[in-house]
Amino acid sequence: MLHHPKPTTFALKVRVNGKTIQQEVVTHLRLLDFLRNDLGLTGTKEVCGEGECGACTIIMDGKTVNSCLILAVEAHGRDITTIEGLVDTSELTKLQKAFEDHHSVQCGYCIPGMVLTGEKLLERKPHPTRDEINYELSGNICRCTGYHKIVDAIEHAEDEPYFGGDDA
Amino acid sequence: MKYFRPQSLQELFELEKSLADNPHTILAGGTDLLPRFERGVPLPDILIDIKDVSELNAIKVSDDRVEIGALTSIQDIQDHELIRLEFNALHMAATDFAGTQIRHRGTLGGNVCNASPAGDLLPALYAFEAEALLGDAKGKTSKPISSFIIGPGKTALGSSQLVLGVTLKRNGLASHFDKVGLRQSMAISVVNAAFVYQIADRRFTHLKITAGSVAPTIVSLDAFTSAYLQDQTSVDEKIDLIDENISPIDDIRATATYRRRVLKNLVKHFLSQVQVRP
Repeated sequence: MLHHPKPTTFALKVRVNGKTIQQEVVTHLRLLDFLRNDLGLTGTKEVCGEGECGACTIIMDGKTVNSCLILAVEAHGRDITTIEGLVDTSELTKLQKAFEDHHSVQCGYCIPGMVLTGEKLLERKPHPTRDEINYELSGNICRCTGYHKIVDAIEHAEDEPYFGGDDA
Repeated sequence: MKYFRPQSLQELFELEKSLADNPHTILAGGTDLLPRFERGVPLPDILIDIKDVSELNAIKVSDDRVEIGALTSIQDIQDHELIRLEFNALHMAATDFAGTQIRHRGTLGGNVCNASPAGDLLPALYAFEAEALLGDAKGKTSKPISSFIIGPGKTALGSSQLVLGVTLKRNGLASHFDKVGLRQSMAISVVNAAFVYQIADRRFTHLKITAGSVAPTIVSLDAFTSAYLQDQTSVDEKIDLIDENISPIDDIRATATYRRRVLKNLVKHFLSQVQVRP
């Protein structure tokens, strides 16, 4: 949370998860705080607050970015997807299903960022190598899993379901 | 804090003129600026977000040079085919730069203006003898990168001036970049170095080595390279000439002694690898 002795407001208009949001915000509000506190989209997490850990990853204009390093006003006119907006139903994406199947989640705090980073990689490269996955995930830190199962999930997201799925 | 987002260079210069002497801060990618605010550096009263100034977000290639706009993201530098082929050290530095999310936001202009002794794009820019393009309402000018950056966080940028980009000469030299950090990604370099060279008959005909995090600004290891260019038979007896151009310090990431050792090892490693190639 940033503070400023002389707050100024700005008429923000931004698309978040397919909906246009118009709201007056203070100019020093971080995008992360706007998403979590004003819009209630608490799937986006804060851990380090300085762009090191990737827990606050969102997709803005098609690219993964750290929402703790962006002011809400910078998102004016932009298009944002958070973990809540990845699918518009209660279904999971193939990658989210793979995170379940591979038991990739322990405390879960880093997972929204991991999933969004993974989704963007798979969009570009449906069958990435483990090296490519490691490289892509280097801005997302996990303190529980040791990464292997997260990498497994991304590596196999496009494969047949791990446990045979519905046909098993 | 007032927030402005000019849509063109002309609009930006008019805005700066209308602000007269009111201090303002320029925001590009924000990946260095925002953490500074988080650490308690006071927010400015006026913030000018230049991300929509599209003239500054382009890589222009001509016959003899490449001009990289200040707003070009680290990711766009990494992805650019001609930069990879002709300015590989810059491509490698962009590839090793932080993590994906930061590469999407961080900009060339930001890396230059922040003038960090550890800035990862800087050794390559110095080794290619890049020129910083500067502009204000009156016109454009340029300055060698090595005289534009004058100290840690300090540049020769005039108060109403803006870094528009950098230009690199397409002179067909080979290049390489290497760094040592405490972790492979997302780590500020303990030492980084760029090598720009040309080899004919297994001998260097050109060699420029620049290094970061070993002095207040990036330095060129000229004492070593000029001796080595004259006699390329032995590295070990000349390697300590590197000390003539560096002045590393102890800090939270490494000791000065370690930095000296690591830089010499990076240079020796580079030389041993590159000369055995056909």
